Amino acid sequence: MGTLLIMIVFGLFFAAIFTGGYNNTLIQRARKTTAWDWLTSVDHKKIGVMYFMAGIFYFVVGGLEALFMRYQLLVPGNDAFVGRTFNELLTMHGTTMIFFAAMPLIFGLINVVMPLQIGARDVAFPFLNSLGFWLFFFGALLTNMGWIFGGAPDAGWTSYVQLALNEYSPGPGVDYYVLGLQIAGAGTTMSGINFLVTILNMRTKGMSLLRMPMFTWTSLITSVLIIFAMPPLTIALLLLMMDRLFGANFFDHVMGGSAVLWEHLFWIFGHPEVYIVVLPAFGIMSDIFSTFSKKKLFGYNSMVFATSLIGFLGFMVWVHHMFTVGLGPVSNSIFAIATMLIAIPTGIKVFNWLFTMWGGELTFPVAMKWAIGFIPTFVIGGMTGIMLAAPPADFQYQDSYFVVAHFHYVLIGGTVFALLAGAYYWWPKMFGKMLSERLGNWHFWLFFIGFHLTFFPQHFLGLFGMPRRVFTYEPNVGLEYINQVSTFGAILMGIGTIIFAWNMIQSFRSKKIAAADPWDGRSLEWATETPVPFYNFAQLPEVRGVDAFWLEKQAGNKQMTPAEPLGKIHMPSGSHIPFLMSIALFVGGWGLIARSWQIGVMGLLAFGVTMFMRSFDRDHGFYVKPKELLDKEAKS
Amino acid sequence: MAHHPVEIKPGMHLETATFEGKNKVMGFWMFLGAETVLFACLFGTYLALRNQTVNGPSGAELFDPVLVAVATAILLFSSLTSVFAMMAMNKLDKKGMLFWLGVTVLLGLSFLVLEIYEFVHYIHEGHTFMSSAFGSSFYALVGTHGAHVTFGIIWISTIMYQAWKWGINTETAPKLFVSSLYWHFIDVVWVFIFTLVYLLGMVG
Amino acid sequence: MADQSTSNTQPTEYKSESKMKHIVSFVAMILLTVAAFVLVLRDVVPVAWVLPLMLGFAVIQVLLQLFTFMHLDQKGSLYYILFIAFGVMVAVISAAGIIFMP
Repeated sequence: MGTLLIMIVFGLFFAAIFTGGYNNTLIQRARKTTAWDWLTSVDHKKIGVMYFMAGIFYFVVGGLEALFMRYQLLVPGNDAFVGRTFNELLTMHGTTMIFFAAMPLIFGLINVVMPLQIGARDVAFPFLNSLGFWLFFFGALLTNMGWIFGGAPDAGWTSYVQLALNEYSPGPGVDYYVLGLQIAGAGTTMSGINFLVTILNMRTKGMSLLRMPMFTWTSLITSVLIIFAMPPLTIALLLLMMDRLFGANFFDHVMGGSAVLWEHLFWIFGHPEVYIVVLPAFGIMSDIFSTFSKKKLFGYNSMVFATSLIGFLGFMVWVHHMFTVGLGPVSNSIFAIATMLIAIPTGIKVFNWLFTMWGGELTFPVAMKWAIGFIPTFVIGGMTGIMLAAPPADFQYQDSYFVVAHFHYVLIGGTVFALLAGAYYWWPKMFGKMLSERLGNWHFWLFFIGFHLTFFPQHFLGLFGMPRRVFTYEPNVGLEYINQVSTFGAILMGIGTIIFAWNMIQSFRSKKIAAADPWDGRSLEWATETPVPFYNFAQLPEVRGVDAFWLEKQAGNKQMTPAEPLGKIHMPSGSHIPFLMSIALFVGGWGLIARSWQIGVMGLLAFGVTMFMRSFDRDHGFYVKPKELLDKEAKS
Repeated sequence: MAHHPVEIKPGMHLETATFEGKNKVMGFWMFLGAETVLFACLFGTYLALRNQTVNGPSGAELFDPVLVAVATAILLFSSLTSVFAMMAMNKLDKKGMLFWLGVTVLLGLSFLVLEIYEFVHYIHEGHTFMSSAFGSSFYALVGTHGAHVTFGIIWISTIMYQAWKWGINTETAPKLFVSSLYWHFIDVVWVFIFTLVYLLGMVG
Repeated sequence: MADQSTSNTQPTEYKSESKMKHIVSFVAMILLTVAAFVLVLRDVVPVAWVLPLMLGFAVIQVLLQLFTFMHLDQKGSLYYILFIAFGVMVAVISAAGIIFMP
């Protein structure tokens, strides 16, 4: 009955689109609203802001899930969130933080900043950019729908088989994971292609590859990693979907399937994924260190080389997640050595940051505090990484809280610190307002101290034998006190995040427009006006070296030298099709989760129809006169 | 986003004449890079699981060399006709291009028919998607390739219609060019399928 | 955008591409395919040689396809070649990992 109803609604929907049988005045009125403007926008800055805000939202959601877990572990034998609920919390915490918080926050910053840094007016594929965002948005929504309808995924964010197969995970939980991530992942791949082509093709005059800011460089390498790392996940999810929904036997060992196959596919994706989220963080840090030290980035070329090398090696180390599977000493040794090799380029980076600060004219706004806090934190995470890279030692650490401590030092100390630093640093370009430094300081110190209180003791929890992903522990085995410190730290991080939220709200409410170049910046994004006009640059700038804007300022110029005469600018038109496409996949995906093949097929067909709509859409954008041209024309 | 009108004359690279065209071709190569890894994972899965037949028929018992040879010839030939279509496009020869694209689509369709016949035959032999890990991985790999062929046929037909309606210009040329790249890529994948699935299966 | 206002308005001239090149390459592909089939269906080489030879033929055929049919021999394809080469490397490592570490 429900199936029929949805199909009828869907049919009417498409009938309305194709026959024009809808209320035209209503549509016209809807087109004038702000919501429509954002929904159909292909402006990279607006899409970036949407990515960023969605990322913040899921960061809070994932944080709440973490706090619930820490509450459960406050005392031994607690019964607040036990069994399946705890499994759901830990699964969704990992999935949310990686896919729906870290990735969109990174994509948000790349989207807003990268085109400005290379002197472009938009990304290479504005339509695809919008589609990427909406696919992510609906994919994330679908995954989280499990909380309300039928149970959230509960097989861990790695979703290992056999656990994730129907036999051990009945109900729709893991299906939400499979289809939600599949939809969001498609959007991610598109964004990767989009960013890469943008960086390779759309640089302004004089912006050679070796003059690009570090953040753009790391975005480039990250894009390459996305393009090659997402397909294994796509296949892994596809095979798991086949097993769960269509009775295939990829992973069922009774029918000849292999559980190790899932681990391979997942980690061939999963390890590069770590670099996907951490490389842009390195880029953000590089830009911030250089700006607030008033110095050129130390060892720029070696930084580029190190980034590329990390990207290259990132594909050859996935087995270090599988040391205890029993692949044999040869495999383990090879992958252990490859893993340890990555410490070399990473070490190069750390020393370059230190030498950038050495002898610089240092200032310490909140962004710089995050950056400086990042170095020791990340180095600790790297050190425990080397410890885990040694297979015999890994046999002891595996599946204990030591691992949890390690990857939180890397992912929070690396990625989250950098994203927060980037938020404070680029906030004026994203929103045209400043964040309060006073509240920012509170945010930094509470979060920083809270972080170390939470996760440093977890190293010892692990060494004392507390396994990860288990919802309780025995009293009187020496684990209570450490767990309590850890929970206390988590609360401090939560308070810090509340202060950050308050800071954001205050900034949105304030009427004071930020200065165009508040930090005395070095790269091209600071050469734009604030708020940034939607065409970014009235005239594209000409670049004469690394730190293009700084060079011009040193030469006594207030602005960049234009590379083109003042003229009309061609811009892409907005489109509502990405939104429709994503809804179609969302409905289709949900149909499959509900085991309703009719709705699933219907959703896929609707997706096909929207592809035709796109192919036959002959809107090739419009021309706009920038403010400067209008002023000039008014004068003459 | 420069949008200068381009003077169209025969013998030029119409597909990369505009900035949008250049982006599209480059973006499509990146996409093919992703597809390479995607198929590599399916190949890996198949080769890892191909001996897990669980009492069902094995590849050596199933595969028919004549059928595979015909399918291979068809797909290889369609790759050539697709190149001819692109050469006609560069000469702004709309009729010639539509002819060669039509041949390409027809060859693609006959390949598809052959594949469906083959699958139906296998199912009768007891080699199904659900019968064993070998069956699952075989249909996942060859089926994904078949889905690509199907998508390619629909895609090329659509763009044929657009080229017929709108002519060969800076709007349609990049679409035609990337769809032909896609078609060649399908053939590239098939080269490995007939080698690593069928021929290797016959060797045992 | 580095060159959008200069080189874009001047589309590169198309070097008249001979049909011959493609036909020659096509014939070579057909021959390689036939050779692979012969290897398997007739006992011309020891069994241990079949797979490496077959794979070699496939690789040559794919290179032909990439560099003639897919126009990677044209100027300005360097990015694509580098990119695809890296993709192939990742693909081979991943597939080999899955196959040889079951």
